[in-house]
Amino acid sequence: MNNSMSRYVERFNVVERVLHWTLVVAFFILVFTGLGLYARTFFGYFDFFGGPQQGILFHKWAGVVFFTSSLLLALSHLKELFTFDQDDVLWLKKLGGYLSKEHEDIPQGKFNCGQKLFGIFSLVGTLVMGITGIIIWDPAAFGRGLTQFSLMLHALFFTLFMMGVVVHIYLTTLGNPGTISSMLYGHVTKTWAKAHAVKWYRKVQKG
Amino acid sequence: MARKAFLIDMSRCIACRSCQVACKQWNKLEPEATVNRGSYENPPQLTPQLYNQIQFIEQGQGDELRWLFMNQRCMHCGDAGCIKVCPSAGALYHTPEGMVAFNQDKCIECHYCVNGCPFDVPRYDRKKKVTKCHACVDRIANGLVPACVKACPTQTLRFGDRDALIAEAKAAGKTVYGESELKGLGAVYILEDAPQTYNLPAKPAIPASIFLWKDVIKPLGILGFWGAMGAALLHYVTFGPKKLDEYGRRHDDDLNPPEKGA
Repeated sequence: MNNSMSRYVERFNVVERVLHWTLVVAFFILVFTGLGLYARTFFGYFDFFGGPQQGILFHKWAGVVFFTSSLLLALSHLKELFTFDQDDVLWLKKLGGYLSKEHEDIPQGKFNCGQKLFGIFSLVGTLVMGITGIIIWDPAAFGRGLTQFSLMLHALFFTLFMMGVVVHIYLTTLGNPGTISSMLYGHVTKTWAKAHAVKWYRKVQKG
Repeated sequence: MARKAFLIDMSRCIACRSCQVACKQWNKLEPEATVNRGSYENPPQLTPQLYNQIQFIEQGQGDELRWLFMNQRCMHCGDAGCIKVCPSAGALYHTPEGMVAFNQDKCIECHYCVNGCPFDVPRYDRKKKVTKCHACVDRIANGLVPACVKACPTQTLRFGDRDALIAEAKAAGKTVYGESELKGLGAVYILEDAPQTYNLPAKPAIPASIFLWKDVIKPLGILGFWGAMGAALLHYVTFGPKKLDEYGRRHDDDLNPPEKGA
């Protein structure tokens, strides 16, 4: 779909899209089975999973799915995630242009600075949740001190993930119209590419 | 109801372990096979089938042997770590007397209480449910003293009005352990040496990670989530979305001619 007549540019291939939506489903199972453990207010959510014990079981195996798919997705973009240049400094200075009604000219690669930072956070968070999750899988298997610390970290990164996911969903749907099609159908319009990721667009157009 | 408590004067204990036996009998706890480890202390620690246990602290001092005894059990904390971390309301709870009891039907088998307890007391039984000393909740609700107290021949173990028992101990010139820590323990001790000698923390407190988890991260996390939701909504109605058609209008020159109907 990269021929010059098309209105579209391919952004995410089918493997990336399947990995992403797999981790999304696992994420929301994790949220709704985990909230019952997070605060008593949400204890009723366990009813959707056949009770607390079964909910915890769902949580553990959804955790394995999330960890695997999220890690694979991050690893397949590792180089892009950790490549920053002067334009990223500009992005940070202008806060991505989000505090302006006008379009700000901030040339960005395939992923803008904010997306890269979110990707790095997601990678770190996935590792923390995975490691602490294994430690508290059987809460009697490791020492009390390590288990207590892991329970705390697991809760901390849960709250960070929740805040991150709110921002992520807002910016990819309502905040930036046209973005979601990249994750649904794999492509974005050329207008989108020029507006949001002009350096990537130029690279793709050159072939 | 005025808060009740155990007053446990370890200087009176003769380590007869009547308390262990009476507890097992009243609570119908199964016998366990143990091994002789060269000490009268048996079993070596609390188990799912042993809600209170006499620890033998044996210190050699030249030719002399110093024998100290410690009645280990649930401390029935006023601010109980186990209740704080338990996700299932009512699985662990304070009785009207202020003791910490449990309801196995509500236990969801998460083991959080095992890690939330400052004294490492809760155990899980073969049904994978929480067990520990519940101060014979069935007896005290009917005006009786717990089975261990009933059986103690030396008045090491006493049970009654918490304030009265502490006042009495202080009037006799004793120092008590657990008067105010964790909003006051429901098992208050008279010790013959420093708490550490009895394997007790000098300043018992909710473990730091547990405090951070339940008292800092949990409320801030809920605030953070709704804060993020509010921020997104506010952004949408103030600066608004980055609409592509507006971008396109200003950059018409470098756009391909739009297809018909697009």
